[in-house]
Amino acid sequence: MTENNNNDNNGAGDEKPERVVGTPSASADERVVSEASAENESEHAGPYEPFETHIRPEEQQRRGEKMASAWFILATLAGIAFLAAYFVFPPNAADEPAIADPQISQYSNMLLGGTLTLAMFGIGAGMTVWARNVMPHYEVHSPYDELPSSDEEKGSFSEFFMKSADESGFTKRPLMRRTLIASMIPLGIAPVVLLRDLGPLPRDTLHHTPWENGRRMYVEGTHRALRAEDLENDPNGMISALPAIDDDRYPHGISLDDQAKSVILLIKVPDGDWKEGMNEPVSEGSDETHMNWTYNGIVAYSKICTHVGCPAALYERTTHRILCPCHQSTFDATDAAKVVFGPAHRGLPQLPISVDDEGYLISTGDFAEPPGPTFWEYQRGGGN
Amino acid sequence: MKWITARRRHPLAGYVVVILALALFGVGYAALAPTAEEARAQTLSAEAPAPDDVDIAEGRAIFDQTCASCHGLDGSGSPTGPDLREVGSAAVNFQVSTGRMPSMDPDNQMPRKPMVMSEEELANLIAYYDAEIRDNEAGADVPYEVPASEPERDDFEDEGEYEAALETWETEYDAYIEGADDTDMGMKLYLTNCAHCHSWSGGGGALTDGRWAPEIHDASPREIYEAMVSGPGAMPMFSDGVIDPDEKQELISYVKTLQAEPDAGGIFALDRVGQVAEGFIGWTVGLSLIVACAIWITAKQRAHD
Amino acid sequence: MSKTTQAPKALRGVGNYIDDRFHLAKTGEKNLRKVFPNHWSFMLGEIALYSFIILLVSGVFLTLWFKPSMVEIVYDGSYERLQGVPMSEAFASTLHIDFDVRGGFLMRQIHHWAALIFVAALVIHMLRVFFTGAFRKPREINWLIGVAIFALAMVEGLFGYSLPDDLPSGMGVRILQGVMLAIPLVGTYISMFLFGGEFPGEDIITRLYVLHVLLIPALLLGLIVAHFMILWHQKHTQYPGVGRTDKTVVGTPMFPAFAVKAGGFFFFTFAVIAGLSAFVQINPIHLFGPFAPTSITSGLQPDWYMGFMEGSLRIFPNWLDFTIPIGAGYPIMTAVLVPGLVIPGLIFGALALWPFIEQWITGDKKAHNVADRPRNAPVRTGLGVAGIVFYGVLWMAGSNDVLSETFSIDLYLTTYIFRVLAIAGPILGFIITKRICLGLQHRDRETLEHGYESGTIQQLPSGEFIEVHKESSDETVEVLSSKRDPSSTALTDEDVDATGVENPDARKGMGKLRRKLAHWYTKDNVSVQGLEPHSGHHLHHSQEHASEEGGDVER
Repeated sequence: MTENNNNDNNGAGDEKPERVVGTPSASADERVVSEASAENESEHAGPYEPFETHIRPEEQQRRGEKMASAWFILATLAGIAFLAAYFVFPPNAADEPAIADPQISQYSNMLLGGTLTLAMFGIGAGMTVWARNVMPHYEVHSPYDELPSSDEEKGSFSEFFMKSADESGFTKRPLMRRTLIASMIPLGIAPVVLLRDLGPLPRDTLHHTPWENGRRMYVEGTHRALRAEDLENDPNGMISALPAIDDDRYPHGISLDDQAKSVILLIKVPDGDWKEGMNEPVSEGSDETHMNWTYNGIVAYSKICTHVGCPAALYERTTHRILCPCHQSTFDATDAAKVVFGPAHRGLPQLPISVDDEGYLISTGDFAEPPGPTFWEYQRGGGN
Repeated sequence: MKWITARRRHPLAGYVVVILALALFGVGYAALAPTAEEARAQTLSAEAPAPDDVDIAEGRAIFDQTCASCHGLDGSGSPTGPDLREVGSAAVNFQVSTGRMPSMDPDNQMPRKPMVMSEEELANLIAYYDAEIRDNEAGADVPYEVPASEPERDDFEDEGEYEAALETWETEYDAYIEGADDTDMGMKLYLTNCAHCHSWSGGGGALTDGRWAPEIHDASPREIYEAMVSGPGAMPMFSDGVIDPDEKQELISYVKTLQAEPDAGGIFALDRVGQVAEGFIGWTVGLSLIVACAIWITAKQRAHD
Repeated sequence: MSKTTQAPKALRGVGNYIDDRFHLAKTGEKNLRKVFPNHWSFMLGEIALYSFIILLVSGVFLTLWFKPSMVEIVYDGSYERLQGVPMSEAFASTLHIDFDVRGGFLMRQIHHWAALIFVAALVIHMLRVFFTGAFRKPREINWLIGVAIFALAMVEGLFGYSLPDDLPSGMGVRILQGVMLAIPLVGTYISMFLFGGEFPGEDIITRLYVLHVLLIPALLLGLIVAHFMILWHQKHTQYPGVGRTDKTVVGTPMFPAFAVKAGGFFFFTFAVIAGLSAFVQINPIHLFGPFAPTSITSGLQPDWYMGFMEGSLRIFPNWLDFTIPIGAGYPIMTAVLVPGLVIPGLIFGALALWPFIEQWITGDKKAHNVADRPRNAPVRTGLGVAGIVFYGVLWMAGSNDVLSETFSIDLYLTTYIFRVLAIAGPILGFIITKRICLGLQHRDRETLEHGYESGTIQQLPSGEFIEVHKESSDETVEVLSSKRDPSSTALTDEDVDATGVENPDARKGMGKLRRKLAHWYTKDNVSVQGLEPHSGHHLHHSQEHASEEGGDVER
């Protein structure tokens, strides 16, 4: 390493660089070198060869011992503080807030963690000082093992192995060998079979959602059915909605599975902002156009991105872009939610909507295409 | 300072400097980062609904001077500023009280700034707008029942008056925030309709075309309410029909309570940016500190290496 | 220092008890005398090992309270803000760990920080091994084990991140499921089986939990033990230096010095992770709130080690998507499949295969124990940097929304920039790195030939200023002259053998390719073969020399 040049130069000035020099302290250099080498040669009784063992001068060892002990004492104190900190902040008792209060929790966390850090660091630093200042520095030479075995050993092994194999009859008796192998095959398949009940077959579950003709819609979170007139004052409104289902088995009245595929984004688009794509049929050969599926400027698209399934909810009223915050697939709300940027494979499926007799917004059917991440069979069957 | 001179060429000197610098950085961050208390204090505000003593004539003067150059004398707009006749007074109050209007640079998105006029001047401006510019009842009214920003000392002549106002405002603020009781509703409304732009923490986020959704830490409940009903910039509208006032209270209370909550995990919350910041700190602080320790352990010593 | 102390009676008793049963005295001494070369970069793998230990310990603590269940309950625990909110039991029990178990919050943060550090340490350890050529024979198998550990660690981390069932973690699972669904033919089946039905179902957390706490840690532990035993058996590589050869290792013996240092390093690693966990909040799930498939936040990112996949999902366009026109039509979503499967496959495949590719190109079948200096293998180093740039660009692209917002750049523009960078960056990285390596080789040759620039400026009688060059230390000379020229048997093999028969290999396609690659791998090199150290005839040891000739001076 050429960097050594600098190291050598720093301390030694104009002198020729020495390979073996003294301690970091420049003044002690000379004395130390002689002391160390003298010890090495005369009364060395360490585990490693004298020339491989560079003993620290006694003074350095003494300083090292003190330093290391100081670290260890710090660690001990910090360790005791850690134990104390555990009992300072109680878990939630009768009325007192204790660690369930975020502020107290923060104090508790910092006190426990801080003392733990100090204790750990103290031990680490003490051990490092110990190894660097008290223990001799060993520079031990040792051979790398010759890895390949000798030809003799290899030959002996292979002869032994083949003789044994022959003797066992495994090579000579094919019927037995083959039947043994055959007997393993069904057992090998067994684990795969046993995993069959991990889940149901897909069939067409991914093609259907709870949306159907006449289903009202709830604003997510409020459980209040929306009327078309609620959006009257939102010339540029948007809201996330779910089908109006009240199933007692679920806290939100609708299972997470159903939420995941039926959530929609209702968007109110000002007249005149619609684009050409709205006049195209919703699916090949259908009589319905995307425009027919809107009601009074309100359009409903699946909120689940067709890329990998994040809720694509970022709607800009100025550009009418619907953007998925995960991977930035962008759909145009005024153009049948076609993909205008990003990795999504297809547009967001549209939900046909209308109002019922009481003015509530309803779906008039299911999505034309399965909502959610695009999958292999998405164009097969399903839909309406 | 002799000890520094003697040791600065020590092989470990470099690492010591790095560790000190990191420590300083940490302490500095702790000193500068707003604490939860401050963040909360900044959000607060309250003033009484506009009484009858507004001065429409002064409002007209302000409008003609500061607004008309872009929005036209009758508020019908121009190439540099939109038509104001149907936006409603909530929009006016929002834009002016958050310092976004008057804008010096109409082509660019305006960041939040201190308001350029006094509360009284704003009240006069709104009175003029309602009386002369607004189309009938178009747009939304200023939601006076929702607490606005914390009163500022400058708007009051004597200390007593200010303190009284502050106390009233605090009571109103707490009543509004604590008046919400359905965390789940507030959370659902916020996370399904707001968080995709403004982030779960209200820290904001990126939009297209170089625009951004602003962070809403400093926004008062009234400003959040006004933003929802008026839809500033690219933001869609959430009228009282879609999310009624009580539901809005739940939503606002959810996000304000979340923002005011101290960070239980430690004083460095990394601005609640989340995983990107955590990864960055893990590499720059965590791994570097451990490697610094490794360098200490294996550092060459003059003695025998 | 002087007399060896007699082993205490108790210790001797234990020692004898064990030896009577296992015959360990000789093996024990041999292993305690094992030599470990000293260098900070040799400790990087240890960081990963220690983080793994911390992960095991803190992980066991967390399992004592965590309930891997997706049953929806209404929270009524002691964390006030979320009382009355419906959530899964997994999320509620994580809140319990945070706010009802003393030290639980700290342990959860330690577990998460240790995970980030663990994978980061794996990466830099792997880079060190790559750039120094320490993966070469006889260590290829250990390299493969390392690649497997890296891949498993990522999966382990992803699953662990998903367990608390908070908003970002559930989204991570959602994206995983979206990628699965895109797999042609069997995608829906894989997804239905893994999730026990539709997304999110009620099984996934229980299943990920078993994988996260049992199966993958067991595999990781086995691989790590194997990795360590192979290292132990083969001994560590070392950097070139005096007395350090492919046959002899020089370093600190295991006992006592290395044991104490390594032990101390464990405590340092733990201290740093504990320090971060005490003061820097990580993954505050109580603030995120429980997962709902309909909710989303801006700035949503996975933990850093999944960032490159997130980034490639963001920037890979849908231009190559197509539909197989059979029946209703079956889509091939390259925009999901390439980033989700092909790119990680490429990265891990390239990592795993490189030792064998390099060996094939060079034909080098020798065992290597002395590490290469990265500059002395410029093509390998250049490729390594290209890989880092590619990975780094994808990783940064994974936070393009945060970058866009922070630096006020158009969001779509960041995507375009990263698309260009993902292709141009690695190429530029390769070219620049190779140039730098060759420049360093030139400098090394200069230093070897002329000594080093002493920094001493002298004025010649003629008035000219010169910088005196001095002889480098023995160590430096040893390091510099240890450089071997890159070579390949593909180039040295004659086209025709001794009997005049054409070498059939060289004519075939693969043979041709190999010769081309070998040429590319070896062509740029600054040789120091046969160079006498300090033989430069303008070397200035002292003022006298310097004043005699002014040739070899830096003005």
